[in-house]
Amino acid sequence: MNSIPILEIEHISKRFPGVQALSDVQFQVHAGEVHALLGENGAGKSTLIKIISGVHRPDEGTIRIDNRPVSFNNPREAQALGVATIYQELSLYPELTVAENIFMGHAPRGPLGIVDWREMGRRSREILESLEITDLDVNRKVGGLSVGQRQRVEIAKALSLNARILIMDEPTAALTEADVQRLFSIVRLLRERGVGVIYISHRLEEVFLLADRVTVLRDGQYVGTADVKDVTSDQLVSMMVGRTIENMFPKLPAVIGDPVLEVRNLSRRPLCKSVNLTVRSGEIVGLAGLVGSGRSELAQTIFGFTPAQEGEILLNGQAVRIRNPGQAMRYGIAYVPEDRGTQGLIREMRLRENVSLAVLRTMTRSGFIDTAQERRLAAEAIEQLGIRAYSIDQVVNKLSGGNQQKVVVSKWLASKPKVLIMDEPTRGVDVGAKAEIHHLISELAQQGLAILMISSELPEVLGMSDRIIVMREGRVVAEFDREEANQKNVVTAMMRETAEPATASTGQGVSV
Amino acid sequence: MAASSHPIEERQGSSPLTNILLRQEVILFLILILAVTLLALSSDKFLTVSNILNQGRLLTEIGLVALPMTFIIITGGIDLSVGSILGVCAIVLGYMWNPSGPFQLPLEAAIIVSLALGTLCGLVNGLIIVYIGVPPLITTLATLALYRGLAEGISQARSVRGYPEWFFQLGQGEVLGVPTQLWVLVFFVIVTAIILSRTVFGRSLYAIGNNELGARFSGIPTGLYKIIIYAFSGFMSGMAAWIFVSRVTTTRSDMGSGLELDAIAAVVLGGTSIFGGTGSIVGTVIGFVLIQLLKNGLSLAGVTTDGTIVVIGTVLILAILINNFIQRRTNAA
Repeated sequence: MNSIPILEIEHISKRFPGVQALSDVQFQVHAGEVHALLGENGAGKSTLIKIISGVHRPDEGTIRIDNRPVSFNNPREAQALGVATIYQELSLYPELTVAENIFMGHAPRGPLGIVDWREMGRRSREILESLEITDLDVNRKVGGLSVGQRQRVEIAKALSLNARILIMDEPTAALTEADVQRLFSIVRLLRERGVGVIYISHRLEEVFLLADRVTVLRDGQYVGTADVKDVTSDQLVSMMVGRTIENMFPKLPAVIGDPVLEVRNLSRRPLCKSVNLTVRSGEIVGLAGLVGSGRSELAQTIFGFTPAQEGEILLNGQAVRIRNPGQAMRYGIAYVPEDRGTQGLIREMRLRENVSLAVLRTMTRSGFIDTAQERRLAAEAIEQLGIRAYSIDQVVNKLSGGNQQKVVVSKWLASKPKVLIMDEPTRGVDVGAKAEIHHLISELAQQGLAILMISSELPEVLGMSDRIIVMREGRVVAEFDREEANQKNVVTAMMRETAEPATASTGQGVSV
Repeated sequence: MAASSHPIEERQGSSPLTNILLRQEVILFLILILAVTLLALSSDKFLTVSNILNQGRLLTEIGLVALPMTFIIITGGIDLSVGSILGVCAIVLGYMWNPSGPFQLPLEAAIIVSLALGTLCGLVNGLIIVYIGVPPLITTLATLALYRGLAEGISQARSVRGYPEWFFQLGQGEVLGVPTQLWVLVFFVIVTAIILSRTVFGRSLYAIGNNELGARFSGIPTGLYKIIIYAFSGFMSGMAAWIFVSRVTTTRSDMGSGLELDAIAAVVLGGTSIFGGTGSIVGTVIGFVLIQLLKNGLSLAGVTTDGTIVVIGTVLILAILINNFIQRRTNAA
């Protein structure tokens, strides 16, 4: 990289009341480069991109674009100089068309200042074609589009502003596999055209696939910048956390006992078709599969959220009928859902109210909530799981992602389950909290809980599971023991086109 | 349990949420005191025992309806049909009893039929909302028209009068020097306040209002609970109808028109968020007391009815602004 950087940042510091968000941070982007920005939650990535895009003003330091110092009073001024940002929450208007969204705020006008619709449609099509997007009608309303399509509209919008620096904040977080591939090819296209892309992601493998260079932040400090071809993922992780995490997957030996949960020919259309599986006490069964393969649907069917249409569920050998989550709970099944914000927590309520919510019915004294018991439960949860909160009365919204996830887990542990189903237990959680949650899962299995863990992260599935079940298109398509499972055969089973009979080969005993 | 062994618990009093709730109600109460003082200064008939007790008589119907309305608004719903349910219950009460009508039931039986009908009307609202998935606003807007139409159809524009003397005890009599219906209201205020703040059911209503999906994933039977509160709202409208008929000694099909707006105003004035998730019975009580005293005090002070409505609207907007201001400051801190 010998060209002059289009964006240079030096000695940037930013303080918010009570917290030093950034101190003395530097960062550069060249034309035609994809530059990944890495860091744990709270490392200062968001603050940095907000400074670059003109949302915040830095307290100290300089920003240079094309070697000229600039200062932005608002995002519009940054846009005018070619900085465009695509945030995680897409900011489109669902009731407007694709073209209207692309040209929102800078629609081409004819004489008398009236919007020139035809020109707008023409230029929208032009931009989309230049991105090799041919399946998007510019007259369609955005509300009916998929997440991936909306993101492409956002990118087109940025280009309509002649963006030369494009910031993408976790663009793949909500995308399907196919959309991720399209996004990558669009980003590569932009790179060829000389756009500087700042790419923020939690997924290290994306950094290696896509980025040219990577900058790591930690606790608001600049840690370093490296060429992607010169670093390993272990090095990046230790740069991010400031220590080497010795064991990301602390799998403890556990005694595997009798089957606790057995599922036979369980069906709930469209995404759960005649599923068979068994989870034993002390066993961690990993459930792998692509997004949309029916893993969450299976879990929610077992949990009674979407009750089964056919098949049976056995608990400790007894057939049970589960028609709603309340019943599943009484049978000792707990489900930590995929999305803690909308499913796992009532974020506006307090920590203690969240921890007790699922078990409140058992904590009453002559019909009234026993608040003393509730407080004790919450205090125990904080101690047991190491939740960092200043009080049991703190509103859950104010906690970090990892701590929120621990609250969800403690809420379900409070129900003293025999079967714990965890759906993406570490999604959106930073590396440190991730290791802690893995340790907890391992301990729970050691205590004899039967655990079914759904995860889209292969290393997590491979590292934590005694046995791995792979789902595709609503069916179980493969099963592996811990020893025989590896990245290659699990991924092959996830993607394979023709279904083969599942191979069941599980031994009882101690697994290490 | 030794609280001191858990250092984390010692700061419980300083929870932001407690502070908001406390302060919202405290501020409302201060507004109430201020209003009473100003009104007392402008008319010497206002702050007399007999006037205040008489106002208690007049606010009972709105109060009874505002209590379940608080539950409903906390879950993020709304019930616009309460005034119409009151109307149809009042008509049916008279129609069932009417000595020259088709049924000629004993008055006691007519009251029970009327209360059952109110509960049924609310139940229908709840079933439509939960099982068909029509938003509460639309459902109850439709049943507002439907139930009012039923009331008019049954009454054929005829009123029923001439009830026996004992029937008027509830609406016009006194017990221990206090209007009878005020005792009824006090009873329901205490019961609903305890349900909302102390029971699993009450806690679940807040959970539903803040995040219904999350509540379902926590094993809360959200559909059942919603059906219960709409049915309860219908029952309370029936109670209000009974008291109303007893107070005014007649039945008319337009009884209770506009009652829903007074009740919703009282609930929102009392600090319950129209988006659901927060609110309290204490707030609602202050809300409907404040509205009634403003109406009465201003008219005693010689303000016209139109002027009174303007003042009440202004107070409502001010109270909401103050609440928003406090909430934003507390959240920022």
